[in-house]
Order: sequence, then C-alpha cells, then structure tokens
Amino acid sequence: MANQRVVVTYAAAQSFQSSDNWIHFLAALRSLLPLRNLHWKPTSRPNLRTVQELDVSLVPLDSLRDEHTSQVPVTLLEKPLLNLYVLSCEDAETYKTTVKKQIKDWQTSVNQRKNQEWLIIHVVRPDSKNVDRKFFSMKGSVLDKIKGDFNIDKRDRCVQLPWSTGEQSPAVWADLIGKIKDGLLAAFDTAVLAREEEVKRSEGQRHMPGWNFCTYFVLKVGCLCCILANLASSFEGVNLFEDALQQYNELEATFMNVLGEKNMSWFGNLINPAPKDDSLPLLSPSKKSYRELILANTISIFDLRVYLLARQSMLLNKMQQPIEICRKAILFLSTFGKRLREVEMALPEYFVESWIFSSALSVVDQCGAWASSWLELEGIALARYNAIKGELLELAKSQLDILGVKVGHLPPKPPFLMALQTVSTTPSSPLPERNPSQRISKYEIMLAIGDIEAFYDLYCTISNRAIDAYVKAGRRKFALKLHGCLAALDNHRGRLSNALAIFSSLPAHYAPHMWTSLESFMLSRAIDTHAVLQKPRDQEWIHLLLGFLKTYVNEPTSESLTSHDINEYVTKLVTALREASEKLDSDLPHLDHPIMALEITKDTRCSQDEDLVYLTVLIHNRLPCDVHVDKIGVVLVGEDTTRLKFTAEFTKLVSGRNYLVLTCPTSSHGTYVHESVEIRIARLHFQWNRKSGGGAGDALTSRKHAIPVHLPRNPESLDVQLCLPPNTALGTTPKLHLTISSGRNDLATASVRLSAPAGITFAFVNSELHSEGEIDTSEDGISIFNVPSNSNVIISVPHSDATRFRAIKIDVSITYKTVRDPALERTLRTSRIVTVALPIAVNVEDFFRGERQVIPGLDSSVKLRTMFVTRLFSRFTISTTTQQHVRISSARLLSAPDAEQGAKILGCHPSHSVMTAVPDRPVSYIFCIESDRGPVSDPLKLVISYRLLREEVEALVNKAVEDALRQLSQESDVGTKLVQAIIEYLECDASWVELYNTTGELIIPSSLDVGEELEEAFSSVQKILSQPNPPSPSLGPWREMTIPVDVPKMNIVADAWIAIQPPPQAEELPRSQLPSIYAGQALSATVYITASLHWNDPENKRQRYRMRYDVEERTKDWLICGRKRGDFLVQDKSTFSVCLTLIALHHGHIELPKVEVKPLPLDGEEDVPRVLPSSDTHQSHGAETVLVLPRGGRSTFIVSMGTKRV
Amino acid sequence: MPQPPRLNAVALISPQNHPILIRTFQKGDELKYHYVAHTSLDVIEERTSGKTKPTECYLGLLYVMDDVAAYGYITPLKVKIVIALALTDSVVRDADVVMIFKALHMAFYEAVSNPFLKLDGVSESTADYSPYQAVGSVKWKRLRQAVDEIHRALCAYAP
Repeated sequence: MANQRVVVTYAAAQSFQSSDNWIHFLAALRSLLPLRNLHWKPTSRPNLRTVQELDVSLVPLDSLRDEHTSQVPVTLLEKPLLNLYVLSCEDAETYKTTVKKQIKDWQTSVNQRKNQEWLIIHVVRPDSKNVDRKFFSMKGSVLDKIKGDFNIDKRDRCVQLPWSTGEQSPAVWADLIGKIKDGLLAAFDTAVLAREEEVKRSEGQRHMPGWNFCTYFVLKVGCLCCILANLASSFEGVNLFEDALQQYNELEATFMNVLGEKNMSWFGNLINPAPKDDSLPLLSPSKKSYRELILANTISIFDLRVYLLARQSMLLNKMQQPIEICRKAILFLSTFGKRLREVEMALPEYFVESWIFSSALSVVDQCGAWASSWLELEGIALARYNAIKGELLELAKSQLDILGVKVGHLPPKPPFLMALQTVSTTPSSPLPERNPSQRISKYEIMLAIGDIEAFYDLYCTISNRAIDAYVKAGRRKFALKLHGCLAALDNHRGRLSNALAIFSSLPAHYAPHMWTSLESFMLSRAIDTHAVLQKPRDQEWIHLLLGFLKTYVNEPTSESLTSHDINEYVTKLVTALREASEKLDSDLPHLDHPIMALEITKDTRCSQDEDLVYLTVLIHNRLPCDVHVDKIGVVLVGEDTTRLKFTAEFTKLVSGRNYLVLTCPTSSHGTYVHESVEIRIARLHFQWNRKSGGGAGDALTSRKHAIPVHLPRNPESLDVQLCLPPNTALGTTPKLHLTISSGRNDLATASVRLSAPAGITFAFVNSELHSEGEIDTSEDGISIFNVPSNSNVIISVPHSDATRFRAIKIDVSITYKTVRDPALERTLRTSRIVTVALPIAVNVEDFFRGERQVIPGLDSSVKLRTMFVTRLFSRFTISTTTQQHVRISSARLLSAPDAEQGAKILGCHPSHSVMTAVPDRPVSYIFCIESDRGPVSDPLKLVISYRLLREEVEALVNKAVEDALRQLSQESDVGTKLVQAIIEYLECDASWVELYNTTGELIIPSSLDVGEELEEAFSSVQKILSQPNPPSPSLGPWREMTIPVDVPKMNIVADAWIAIQPPPQAEELPRSQLPSIYAGQALSATVYITASLHWNDPENKRQRYRMRYDVEERTKDWLICGRKRGDFLVQDKSTFSVCLTLIALHHGHIELPKVEVKPLPLDGEEDVPRVLPSSDTHQSHGAETVLVLPRGGRSTFIVSMGTKRV
Repeated sequence: MPQPPRLNAVALISPQNHPILIRTFQKGDELKYHYVAHTSLDVIEERTSGKTKPTECYLGLLYVMDDVAAYGYITPLKVKIVIALALTDSVVRDADVVMIFKALHMAFYEAVSNPFLKLDGVSESTADYSPYQAVGSVKWKRLRQAVDEIHRALCAYAP
C-alpha cells in the first residue's frame, strides 16, 4: 500500500497501437512521469494543497478488471482516476468514418465509471501544425471535430499533441501534461467529495436510535472506520500527509466519541489475544492483515487501535515528527493499557505488562531506525525527542515495577508501588476465562519472570537507558526519580553500600528547591540503609541525620512519605545522635540547623553580690522529644564589637518552649544585640549566626531584625575611667590616666588592655602606678595584682602622638579574677572617649626693647634717645579652642631650673586672681625677660593652671550636694542622682552662665524634678548654690599645662629713629619752647640707626653685618630730600646716622616716616647660598607725631556782593 | 456526557520552584505524587523556555506516567500549578482541565492575598514580592481547605 500510485488508463485504435509510433509515444509519455507540482484546490477545504510529486501508473484500459462486483470499499486510488484515448488521425474523412465511432465506444465505457475523468489526445505531426489549415480548408480540422463531438460540458477534454518519433522538445508536452493534471485533480476532487458525503451519511446514522443498535452500529462504525481509513490512505497515496493524518485523527476522534458515549461491549471484543500479540512491534501496520480484519468486521478494538496508531506513526515518520510519534505511543500505551487491565483476567498472565514493555521499547527502536532517514535533530527538538524517549523507557520500567511486585522480585512498597494501578472499575461484561495455553511471548519478560537476576539486570538496563535519555534531554528531575528507584532496588538486592551512596547523594538535589518531602524521604531511606548496614555512626551519618531532622522540623505537618511512626522515629534518632556525637574524635560544628529556635528576651539583671549578668532566653525545641544539651552559649555583641558570651550548662530542653537563664561573668553594661548562638550536644556544636542570613535565618529567631538587649549597670561592679592627667606638659610623651575602681571586688589579678584607633599605640611598658598596688607591665597590657575592694588604681599610660584627633575612643578590655572566686574569669569590655585636644591654645608675641643708654662720643643732642636692646617682652595670648569657657588661675613663666645663665623674668600682676577665657575674648599675660648675657638658649616654661568652667561648676555642685547631705545626714549615694539631675539641667540651658560668671551665683529652678525623696536635699542645695560665690583659686582641682617656650634669637636688633633738628638758633631752648614748625618749612632731620647684637649668638658678636635702610615715602605728608636709602655696616652697639631734609606738606599732627632697615645677605663663599641674617627693627619714633602749623600770613577773600543796576 | 476527570493530586509550586502546597487525594501514594509534581517542573520548564513562549496559562498535558496524567498551568506571576488526573481512555476535554486550574488559581490568589501571610516572611527587601518563600505548610491552611473543597466539588460532580 505504501507504493500506491494514481492509475491512469489509456486506449487507442488497434491500428495505432500496433505501430512503432505508439511504442515511442508511450515511452515518451512515461518519461514525463511522475507528475510534479500539482496544485489542488479542494472544494471542501479552504487551502490550496500542493502535491510535490505524484506517481502515476499508466495501464491499458482493457487490463483493468471489472470491479463492479466488489462491495469492498477500496481506496480512491485503486481505481483509475483518468482515462486517456490516444488517436493519430489527420484525415477528417477517416475520422468521420472509423475513429469517431471508436472514440464513442470508449467514451461510453469510461463514462459509466464513477468519479473518473477522460481525456482524448490527438497526436499530430509537428510540421502539419504549422500550416494554418483553417484558412484553406472549408471544414474544420480533426481536432475541432473531436472537440465538437465529445466536449460535452465546458471542460475541454481534448488535446492535440504535435509530436512524432524523435521529437525531443519537452515543450510540446506541456499542454498535455497540464490537461492530465487537471483531469486527475478533478477526478480526485469529486472522489473525495463523494467519500466525504459517505462519511457524513455514516456518521449521521450513528446517532440513529433503534432496536438494531447493536449490530447495525458495529457495522456502520466499522464501515465508517474503513471509509475514513481509505480516505486517509488515499491522501497518503497522493503524498498529502497532513490531510491523511487529519483523516486518521478524525477517525480516532470518532472512535473516541463512540467510546465516550457507548459502552465498549457494542464493539465486539476488546481484544482477541493472539500469540505474540504482546511482543510484536507496535508501529508496524503490516504485522497483521488489518485491512482484511476490518473488512471482515472481525477486528478487535485492540487491533484497530494499534493499526490506527501504526498508520499515524507512518505518516508522522514521513513528516519527520518523531516526538509526536512517541507522544501518541505513550498516550496510547498508557490509556489503552489501563483499559486492558480491566480485562486482565481474560488475558494471558502478565500480558499487559509485557505488551506495554515491549511496545514501548519497540517504539523507541523504531524511531531510532527511522531517525536514520531524517534530518539531524538539533537543539530543542533533540532534547524533546530524548525526553519523550525517556518517558517511553520509563513506561517500560514501570511495567517492570508492576511485574516485579506481582512476581515477588520486588517488595510491595514505595517506590515500586508507584506504578501499580488501582483498577477500580469492574468490567461491565462477564469476562471470558483466561486461556491457560496462551502465554506471553516477550523473551526478556519471560526470562525476567523466571530469573530474578535477569529481572534486576533488565530493570537496571532500562532504568539507565531512561536516565541517559533524560539527562540528554536536560530533565534532571526525572533522572533523579529514576536514580531513587535504582537506589531502592539496590537496597532490596542487598547492595546496601550502593544504595546508601545514592540515597545520601540525592537529598542534595532536592534541598535547594526546598522539596523537603522528597529530601526527607531520601534521607530517611539513607538512614535506614545505614542502620541495616550497621556501619559506624560517623560524621557522615550525623550529617544525614541532621539533614533529616531539618526536613522534619521544616515540614512537620506535611504528609510524611516514610512509613514510620514519625515521632517515635525521630526520638530514636535523636537519642542515637547523642550517642554518636559522644563518640566523635573532634568537635563537629553545624551551622544554622532549624531544630532549635532561640529568642532573646529583654529580661536581664545583675547579680547582687558579684559581677555577673543574667539573661533569660527562650529556646524553642522543635523536635518531638526532649534533648539533653551540654552547653548553651549566646554571644551578644555591643557597639565596637565588644562581645559577651552567656552560657548555661547541662540542661534538658523539653519539646516546645524552654525558658533558660544564661549567665555571663562580666561587669560590662550597655546595649547589645545577639550575634550568635551555640548549642552543644556532646561534640556536636549547633551554631547559628544572626548575620549569616539566608533562608536559615529564621531558624535562629523568629524575626530577622536584631533585638537589642540592655544590660544594666551595677554601680558596685568593677569600673574603669580614662582621662587626661591633671598635668599636661607639651613636648613630652602624652599620657592618659587609667583609673580602675574595684568596686565590691577584691581583685586577685586583673589584666588590662587598651586599644585605640589606628596610629595610636600605648607604651604599656612605661606605665606608672600612681596609687597603691602592684602592677606588672608587658608589651601588650598591664597586669594588676591584689587590689582590695572599693579602691582605685591609677595608672598613667604613655601613648603615641594623638594631636590629629580631637578625641579618641579607647576600647578597654579587662579580664579579672576575684579573691572570692579565683577560678572564674570575669570580663569588662567597654570603651571610653577621651578628649585629647586641649581646651586652650597659647600664642606668643615677642618684642625686643632696650634701655636708654648714653653712648659717649655721639652728638649730645640725641643722647636721650639712644637705646641698646637687652630686654624682651613676651605676650602670651590664651584663647579657648572650644566653646567652653576656661578659668585660668595663673600663668607663670619659669626659666629652666638648671639654666646656666639666669635670665630675669618679670611677670605682671593680673587684675583678678582668676581670669576667664571665653571663645571671643582671650586672656593675655605679658612677661619681661631680661638677659644680661645675650640670648637665652634654654627654653623657658609657661605653666598655666586652668580648668573648664564645666569642671568648676561640677565641683561646685558636688561640694554643695555633699554639704547639704551632710547637714541632712543622708546617705551619700543618693547624691549622685541629685548631682546628675542638676548637671543635666545645666547642660541643657546656658542662661545661668552669664550670672555665674559675674557673681558666682547658680540659680537652679525649683521646677527641676529630682524625685520625692530628694526634695529636701535639693532645696538646700539650691540655697547653697544661689549664694554669691566669687571664683577663687582655692575651690576644686586645677589642671596644669606646661608649655616649653623658646626665647627667640636675633642676629641684629636695630633701633631706628628720626630726629628733627631744631633750627640752630633754638638749640639751647628747652624742648617745650622749641619753635613751631610750619607747613612747607624745610626741616633738617637725622636718621639714627642703632644696632645691637645682644641677642645674637655670642660667637657671632664680633661679626659685621651689612644693612640697608629705606625711609618711607609718604608723598602726602612729607617731602624728603637727602639720602633716602643706603647701605651701611653694623656691629654691636654701633650707631649709624644720616641727614635728611623734610618738608611737611600740610599742617596737623603728622607722623614721621618710617625707616625700614633690612639686613643684606652675608658675604659667604661663592657656592654657599647667601644667608639672610635675622633682624628686628624697632621704630623708636613710631608713636610720635610732629605738630605742623599752618603757614603764617593773611589771606583776603573778596566776595562779590553784587550790584543792582537800576 | 463524558465524566469529568478524577483529581488525584494538586501541587502549587512557587516561581523559585519551591513547593507551596502538595495535596494528594490518594492515601498511601504521596511519594508518587510528590514525584509527579517535582518531575513536572522539568516539563513545564521545557514548555515555557522554548522559542515560542506559551501565550496561555494553561500548558496542557505535561506527560503521562503510569496511570496518571499530569497537567500544567502557570500563572502570570510564574506560580506553577500541576494537577494529576487519573488516566482514562476517554478524551479529557481541555475545557474541563482549565476549569479546575482556574479554580485552583483563584484559590491560590485568595490565599496569597492574605496580608498576614507575609508577617513571618524572612525577607525584608520589598523587591522580593513573593511571600511564598517560607513555604511553611502551616500557613497555607486556607489554601489547603480551598484545594480540598475543589476536590470535593469534582468528586460530587462525578459520582
């Protein structure tokens, strides 16, 4: 049937058939076949179909049998579609006499046949065609005559072929071929239409009710099936695969419809089991003579459907759709297999399993065989093909499952039971008894039933093939399932280690997607296998177990896939877990396991008699049983990553909620959040970190965000303070004062570590103890021994330069042991902020001044004004660096005690004993340094004692509170509270500052809330503080700051002075009677420049320096004549003078011009860079002015009064 | 009138392929249906990752294994719903299956609209809009009830 062709008959006159021409003609016609590119426009379908290639078999008309006798519906193509009549007659007369009759006979015979077309071919010699005969001949040509005689309807069924033997051109055939195609298609179309009519009629009858339902229906449906099948195969014959497939699909749908509506029993037998039925290749349409069976109406549903599937597959194969083939096959095997199971009792034993098994495999094989003729499958298509192959193989495998359980090769439990079908419906008709002689025929199955090892081998092979296909298809999850089955098989076969390996590797595949059910199943199987194996319960086993417990607590309510009583099972496992973990060689940490959940409560308190903090936590044990734990540790982390570990030991955690009190030996306080939790069961350490996050984060706490825990401070516990020492000396190593208050603890030992931000290091080795006690210093810390309770240890710790910081934060970590409990190591971790920047800044200004001296040999007129500089005035300006007010009680300038040459230092007397430097008003102190022997090489020291206003007020308040309490004879510890309240008030409000600064009164409003019990004390404190209290240096502590001060060196100190010489006649007059100076008057003046090398280095005193003077140009005030600028040589105590003439340009008090004196570079070696000696010039006349009077004389101004002209 | 298909199991699976709910209506076969739900993911992925993206939520018959036909459905937010129907030889109309899926989708939609679902959600990031990460079965009580209700309705429909 596969080589079905369209049949075309031909006929011709006997005479023509016997000629040579005829043979040539036939050969030429055959050479044009098969026909190509037929375009069929079906009348019943919308689309134009194209048949690429159509095989045509040319047969003589008389060779056909007369088929009228047969009732059997055959395919459309078995009958000819087209009849040809070939004639070669060029003589009209001959045509008229003989040929016409022959054609007439032929036409009559042909027209009787249904759905057939006919065509008359008139063969003429090609040359004759060229002559236009119409023009010459009275009558029409032979062709015209034929046309006139035979063309009944519009269709032109006559064609002329200008051809003779040897004619090669294919062009001459075009017309004929076109006509043949048209004819074929027309015939096919009518035939299809007729068939479809028939189908419709049959379908219509299907719905007819009636007494003859049974047989009639079977018959009709049978016919219908046949017709449809015929139609389909007809389509197939003309290579219209899609149409053919469509027909089969319709057939199948019709069939399913029937099934859906009516009971199967109408349809004859479901199956007539024949030998080898189960092992025949499913997709072969020729394995049985189905057509005959159909025609004989004895086909069983089984065979019919197998036939249907086979034909569909054939078509799909031609359309190269292997996926579709397999899909249909699976669906068919599964659904029909289920139906067969309903009548299983009537079938040979294991028939269904064997049939599905072998069919599935045969489909895979068949597709493989067909695949060789297909285009290479690629990409997605290949993956899909593999996937569907995998499904087929898995179907085969599941048959083995069923078989195995039935035969007893496999245990009746999951996963083998998965495939076992529950046949719920009882067959509606009594089943025929099973024919015991019938047997299944699939060799592998028979072998497997008999031989358990063969069965296992087969099972593994098929499973592995399926896995292979799935892996190629990328269906990981299917493959995993099969792996699970294989593991179960291994388990059953006693290959326990194999099974264990697979079982323990599988959970990892299910875990990422949280398929806890499957994960849990695999884990429990692994654990069970492990138990059966009696392997040592090692770390691996513990991991398995923990994995299982995890799945258990994550999904406690879901239906468990294991067969055990889950709670009992888990309890047993937990007990075993403890035993196993005790035997571990090393600690086994396990992160984020959800069996426990921990919640920190806010309930924290301090122990009353020792440095101990209690923390209550809520542990939620999610296991169904009690758990004995060895240790529970909770780590809290505070700011600056200070960590505290709270622990409890040896407790039983009951199932559910447990409140536990954990302790931590510490005196730290503040706000903490919990960081991690550790629960130890023997050597197994469960750990939870809050930060590790992820999905397991919810295991530790029910909420993700951190809960802050406030640890209270106990005033009696160990405490530490850090501050700047009261005495600061700039220029030396900076130090910090560390004060450790032991509180209630008798410290046996304590070791202190300090850490500061980067760049600052502590030199612990150089620490000094400032109080009683023993210390031991090392590179990285200080150890303190034997400190009694309620005492302070003060240690000064030098540290590296910290001037770039305003304040530094220092982490203090102290571990200590008390005498009472020497085994317990307590900790204190805290941090202190120390302001290292000084609150005051000091600036210094130096002024060189001399004492007037008379130098002999000089002009007597200037003797009064000559100076030699030996004194230095230094002004120290003390300003605040912050917004804080600073009290300064004194500032002293001291020379170094061992100074070789004593310099005389004179201070000034401040107006008040205590000065206050405020941000915009610094305080200045002036000192005079007098040195007889030149410069002072040793630095002096400026010692400032100061304090912040705040410290003063705090001290004041403290004192007032103490006094008040003493008067009221109350406990002193309530004072702290009162002091705190007052200080807090003062911090918030700055209005008291001004009043306090002037009068020393501190007015605290009564509205301040200090609490009931302190009311009395408060009012008396209020009274004390409101008293006027002038600042005095006696109250409270003062800080001292020592600043080294270098006395400046100066090579040359010059003194410049312009002396206006009185006119010669007034020389003798006293100064007060000097004549007046008028504007415009020329005055002679002398510039005196006196140089001193007093502050120069002694060895340079003999040196000569060159200097240059320059009189300031003040063109608005003075006109200067003379040498305004010049160089001169100086040496110690030399005076240089030069004469000038000055003319005042206007009247008034006019300053004299300044004289600038600059040193010139020293004459050194050529290559030595010239050094400019340092110099300082004092303008002696700087503050003097000269009174210039207006020029004498009279000026007359005439103002025109104006004249009145009449 | 063809019988409506018998519903054996329902699985709702999150976009991250985490199971939200797997409900089996056949005692003792839980493992099988968990496998069905799990393996269906492979097929759903095949269907949805191909060149031609499915335009409908309904993915049709995923595969047939043993006596079970697995049908798939994917919501616009990529929540996958898989149902396992008992395999029959008669034609299962897609319309029937789609109807079941629509009902399940509605049930899930209503369950997930519960604002309290997210209370214990692990993630604090607002970008992660799917609350079904913490697939605690306890929280889906409502959903389970709704699914059971759908199953009951189907059973009543098919005596």
